[in-house]
Amino acid sequence: MDDQLLSETFVELTDTLVAGFDVIDFLHVLTDRSVQLLDVSAAGLLLADPRGELRVVAASSEAARLLELFQLQNDQGPCLDCFRTGRPVAAADLAAAAQRWPRFAPAARRAGFAAVQALPMRLREQVIGALNLFRADAGALAPPDVRVGQALADVATISLLHERSMRHSDTLNEQLQTALNSRVIIEQAKGKLAERLGVDMDQAFALLRDRARVSNRRLSDLAWAFVDGTEALTGPAASETRQPRPDSRPRS
Amino acid sequence: MAGQAAVRGGRVAAADACAAAVAAVEVTGAWLIAASGAEAGHLMRVTDEVSGLLAELQMTLGEGPGPDAVASGGPVLASDLGEGEAARRWPVFTPAARQAGAAAIFVFPLRIGVIRAGVMGLYRERPGPLNGSYLGDALVFADTATLLLLDAQDQAAGEAAARSGPGGQPTDLALHRAEIDQATGMLTEQLGVGIAEAFIRLRAYAYAHDRRLSDLARDIVERRLRLLPDPDPRQDGQA
Repeated sequence: MDDQLLSETFVELTDTLVAGFDVIDFLHVLTDRSVQLLDVSAAGLLLADPRGELRVVAASSEAARLLELFQLQNDQGPCLDCFRTGRPVAAADLAAAAQRWPRFAPAARRAGFAAVQALPMRLREQVIGALNLFRADAGALAPPDVRVGQALADVATISLLHERSMRHSDTLNEQLQTALNSRVIIEQAKGKLAERLGVDMDQAFALLRDRARVSNRRLSDLAWAFVDGTEALTGPAASETRQPRPDSRPRS
Repeated sequence: MAGQAAVRGGRVAAADACAAAVAAVEVTGAWLIAASGAEAGHLMRVTDEVSGLLAELQMTLGEGPGPDAVASGGPVLASDLGEGEAARRWPVFTPAARQAGAAAIFVFPLRIGVIRAGVMGLYRERPGPLNGSYLGDALVFADTATLLLLDAQDQAAGEAAARSGPGGQPTDLALHRAEIDQATGMLTEQLGVGIAEAFIRLRAYAYAHDRRLSDLARDIVERRLRLLPDPDPRQDGQA
């Protein structure tokens, strides 16, 4: 494990105390760091909304196949088990997990994953979500990686509560819903940008994120402005690699 | 909510969410404000005098959990207006609200990402959070009200007769699918419309073609289906 990167990641936690902190971007950074620091190939943070649905708020890749795997886990899977029990849940070999998760296990394997680990996001007695880690190779995640993974999940929880009255369940619920709504804004922006530029969702997301950083704006604020029409994002000044797409040409 | 509508003798409408919420989540009263975009909304429904007072206070003062909820995009849950926090956040609104008889207020922006339909507020005479499943229930009422308000907006634009949409029968509430939000965004470009209109058209298309919203959205996102604007927007076609 890269100790330098590990230290940096935890130092970045202090960013959460700064005004203008962008929690959505931070959660994405955490999922990226999970992949860089741990022996995993994909990571996603899921939050439970008060209706009990597990919803992705950030993932190391926006690839549809990965996001589908998170979506599936509302029905069954390591995240759901983890969320319900409040304990880590793992499968070292998904090929042997078909009985445990008859729909999730084969889907995960089709997506190229051989092992999975889910770690709970806990706040005192409450489980608010899970960090979902996928490995391309079979085999359990090593204990040091599990410990660091849990610490990253805990950091994610803390970042959602940057208000001072952290013990208040009101605040937690407000923050959760706001984060979930921000995700919807970002999805809407992804769709609009992907369609305008003729790129896929992953690329559209990367463009949004880059632009937010370059212009020093919150990701969800930029996404909002783009969907709302007050932020151009594309045009002569923007991405130089794409030509404007002709209107209304049918696509196969 | 259907029960509320039956009592009223009409189709299920957004306003029914108020009375239904009061019955379901142990609050004293509720109000519903309809607003599209950034304009100030209009008060559509109150279940009692105090709700009306609370709603109007906030609209007049521009201060309170409602304006905060609209600004943040997330709910504002004030379980105890007697706590110092509320008075600090809303120095003029809080004492007035307490005097009117409210001890707890919970406000939910009616929103799907960028799409804004209004605000639903609940108040209770005694303090305390929305317990257990009540918060989840309240959010379901808020989501339902959002869809009904969007349908009503659609109909108010004068296209009700030709395009009898899903209005009053919101389905597909069940799971949030990223594809639905992505497809909505894509449609703003394909149809050259704003985000709320794009969502309305998406649902109308699904309803007209008897398709599940999530399946339709997936087809659009995976570019198997593309909607083209038609001079008559009631007949959005497919490529």
